[in-house]
Amino acid sequence: MPLAESGPPMADRNTFRLMLLILGVVFAFLYIPISVLVGLSFNEGGLPTAWTGFSTKWYGALLENDDILKAAGNTLIVAVFSTLLSTILGTLLAVGVEIRRRNGKWLETVIFAPMIIPDIVLAIALLSMFSLMGVKMGLHTIIVSHVVFNLAFVCAVVRARLKSFDWSIVEASADLGGSTLNTLRRVVIPVLMPAIIAGALLAFTLSVDEFIIAFFTAGAGRSSITLPMQIFAMIRFGVTPEINALATLVMSVSVVALALSQRLNKGGLPGQ
Amino acid sequence: MSDAFLSIKDVNKTFGSVHAVDGVSLDIHENEFFALLGASGSGKTTLLRMLAGFEDLSGGDVVLEGASIAALPPNRRPVNLMFQSYALFPHMTVAQNIAYGLEMDRLPRAEITSRVAEILEVIQLGHLAKRKPDQLSGGQKQRVALARALVKRPKVLLLDEPLGALDKKLRSEMQLELKRLQHEFGITFIVVTHDQEEALVMADRIAIMRDGGLLQVGTPQDIYEAPETRFAADFIGVMNFLPVTAGDQGFVARDGSVILADRVNGTGGAIAAVRPERLVLGDRGQNTLRGTVTNTAYHGLDLLLHITTRLSDTPVIARMTAEMADHLRPEMGQEITLSWSAKDTHIFPA
Ligand SMILES: Nc1ncnc2c1ncn2[C@@H]1O[C@H](COP(=O)(O)OP(=O)(O)OP(=O)(O)O)[C@@H](O)[C@H]1O
Ligand SMILES: [Mg+2]
Repeated sequence: MPLAESGPPMADRNTFRLMLLILGVVFAFLYIPISVLVGLSFNEGGLPTAWTGFSTKWYGALLENDDILKAAGNTLIVAVFSTLLSTILGTLLAVGVEIRRRNGKWLETVIFAPMIIPDIVLAIALLSMFSLMGVKMGLHTIIVSHVVFNLAFVCAVVRARLKSFDWSIVEASADLGGSTLNTLRRVVIPVLMPAIIAGALLAFTLSVDEFIIAFFTAGAGRSSITLPMQIFAMIRFGVTPEINALATLVMSVSVVALALSQRLNKGGLPGQ
Repeated sequence: MSDAFLSIKDVNKTFGSVHAVDGVSLDIHENEFFALLGASGSGKTTLLRMLAGFEDLSGGDVVLEGASIAALPPNRRPVNLMFQSYALFPHMTVAQNIAYGLEMDRLPRAEITSRVAEILEVIQLGHLAKRKPDQLSGGQKQRVALARALVKRPKVLLLDEPLGALDKKLRSEMQLELKRLQHEFGITFIVVTHDQEEALVMADRIAIMRDGGLLQVGTPQDIYEAPETRFAADFIGVMNFLPVTAGDQGFVARDGSVILADRVNGTGGAIAAVRPERLVLGDRGQNTLRGTVTNTAYHGLDLLLHITTRLSDTPVIARMTAEMADHLRPEMGQEITLSWSAKDTHIFPA
């Protein structure tokens, strides 16, 4: 196998086998719980103790649960709007920062801070700020909060692409009579489009399964509950087969979006 | 001259402490093919970018047809730049690239289509109209970049080393092609190059730049036959330099012989210069030198002889036509006498 050939010279056959074994264990550790979850969501009997046959009835049950449907709707609204806003703002920010690069490194650090600051800190900070401003909380505050961290991710993905951007085409556009707006619309954005879409998909994924920040900024009552919050509420009465099915669905959405994003943006995620 | 088409008036550009362009004044005529020639870092690109509007002027003015354009942004100048890197839009096809500038001018769709088709015809790339830039060869990209700038019919087309990325054969083809297009479209061309041969072939007039300033402006013949400085003489074509001392009897070469010269530049002449093709075999002119053939270089049309003499440290180069060479059959180590006339002799200060 090519893997063996490309290993470091000192890795003889046995060390290589050991490495494969460790790799296997790590993957098992990572993916067995998820496989169990997915498997159980198709378990006819619904009990984690015994496999009684394949069924999709728990997925059907989801569709009859109004709370879940409502939460799914909310999640979708939050994800779509926060993705839209953060994609537009994050792209403009990335382009602006790249143009004014001489402002130095600190600007970059300030922009990317929300990616690194722990969610719980961000959540408390946002909650404090909304309370201080006397904003009535609901879906809109979740959207704004999600924009805060999604912006940083979109900006990072677009900036990665801008590193290899040929700025002479911007001058060419101006030279040919293009205004700043036309240059942005017809040249800069189309060339960056793969990175912008990748950033948007990443933002969508992050928003769909984000729990802590949404939980803190949703306000009281059930009206603006999102899917992760709904799962959290249900799980207090034990893991039900419905939850398994729901979690499987949420995961599928994330995996598909992430895969698309990776595919579009061959540079990979920021920090990789 | 106030009625010049494009008038560059005492233009300056400083980047921090670097004087990239230093007091350049230049009048360019309508429909002229003008070449800016200079070594790397002499400020050619900077001057061109100032004309296109990409660099602010640190001083001076640029006047086109009587009106200053110095304060206009690039997209409002009736001037187009063909970039050294071509700067084609990677996400657009060849046809879309060419149409872009016309769309920015909000021309009617039908006119855009016909003008794009017309220029594609001119540059003979009609069959590649639907290709993206990354599917083109270097020479094809160069043509598209040219077409994209030409199709707007600017008053002045600026070209930054337009042929720099092409191989030698394609280069000489494109030199003629550029000249033909310039003539056909009747547009003023300002071409930047550091290839003196290219400038001689293409340009109506040449300006030699050095350290941000203009050294000499003139027709190719002027500059080749009557260089005003040692730098210009050395930069254009091949020149033999013979150190001399200015004495009472005239200019005395190292072997004590007197060199007669008609073209004396400046005072305190310290070096005499003569072109290889002005040297003739035998003792037939006003100035004479003797030496040994130490090398011969065959160039197809002609033969270059390297002759070691007492007159200078480097060998003197003489050019012979193939016909002459056949007749004389110069050999290595052969003693040879060459002569030339005073009218072909230049004198420069040290
Ligand atoms: N943006 C800039 N900042 C600082 N210095 C610059 C800048 N652009 C050019 N220079 C300097 O100005 C001088 C002239 O540069 P320019 O690019 O005009 O030379 P050039 O004649 O076009 O050279 P080449 O033949 O290598 O393209 C150089 O010393 C260069 O380092
Ligand atoms: Mg240059």
